[in-house]
Amino acid sequence: MSWAAHDLEPYAIQKHLKLKVAFVPLLIGSYAPDMMTKWFVYGIHLGPWDLKASDPAQFHRGWPGFGFTHSFIYGIAIGLILWKGFGSKLWGVSFMIGEFAHALTDTGDTVGTMLLFPWTFHFHLGAWAYAGQAGRTTDAAAYFSGLGCMWDLVWIVYGLYAWRVITRGFFDNVIYKADGFWPWANRWVPRDALLVVYRAAFFYGTSRWIAWTIWAHVIHHYPYDLSWGGPHWVQAAHP
Amino acid sequence: MRLRLRAWRPSRAQFAVFLWYCLASAVYVAIGLAVTDFLYSFWVGVAYLLVAAWIVPAVFRRLT
Repeated sequence: MSWAAHDLEPYAIQKHLKLKVAFVPLLIGSYAPDMMTKWFVYGIHLGPWDLKASDPAQFHRGWPGFGFTHSFIYGIAIGLILWKGFGSKLWGVSFMIGEFAHALTDTGDTVGTMLLFPWTFHFHLGAWAYAGQAGRTTDAAAYFSGLGCMWDLVWIVYGLYAWRVITRGFFDNVIYKADGFWPWANRWVPRDALLVVYRAAFFYGTSRWIAWTIWAHVIHHYPYDLSWGGPHWVQAAHP
Repeated sequence: MRLRLRAWRPSRAQFAVFLWYCLASAVYVAIGLAVTDFLYSFWVGVAYLLVAAWIVPAVFRRLT
């Protein structure tokens, strides 16, 4: 589970692939594996009902469950639908790359992902604890105390180093030109606003990383544990 | 080395934009620490940034 990497990785991918990928499907692909599942992992209140998976890790990453959303075959399937069904190879390939990035990044935690689904083996490095089952705030505290938040920090630092990727020049010469979505949106939305929308995921990922770090360590004093598989003060889920 | 750093360095206008986003980020973080629900939604982040980095500067430019 990653809290900011999925926001930031698409900028690094776009920097290297430039006109070969489109940013919007790349970002959607990067978010896609969690889109349908995260709310049920943490649980929500709907009037008198509490809806939450009985085994969040199994539901999120396993089989039976929605773990197939974190596999290569899921990215390929949706990518092929976008390509063959909607006629956009660019969107199909971009979505697939974004989804692959998400699935690979999530192999870093203790549950990992079934990259080669339908083979149900969980590829996992076990670098940081998966604590989604503990609820959203405990998960935040744990994630921002272990190596997961350091992996996010790598992407933030890389993004700041490669800062031209979020400039107006890069947006005009690469992002806008690469994908017909932007000229289409520009018929109703001013270009300045589109530039802000393009930067939003970087802003969101970075700002949220700062906010949760302050929340976990300045306001609540959760201890850092940067050892492999940590933090060990939370019960990590395993496949 | 110096040449490479000079090529990497942002212009004054680019740096001003960066500072504005830093200010917007500081306000976003402050709101998020007061109300953590604010930090959960990507769409809230997009809406906030549209206000902070597009509407507010546009109004400011019009007033000045």
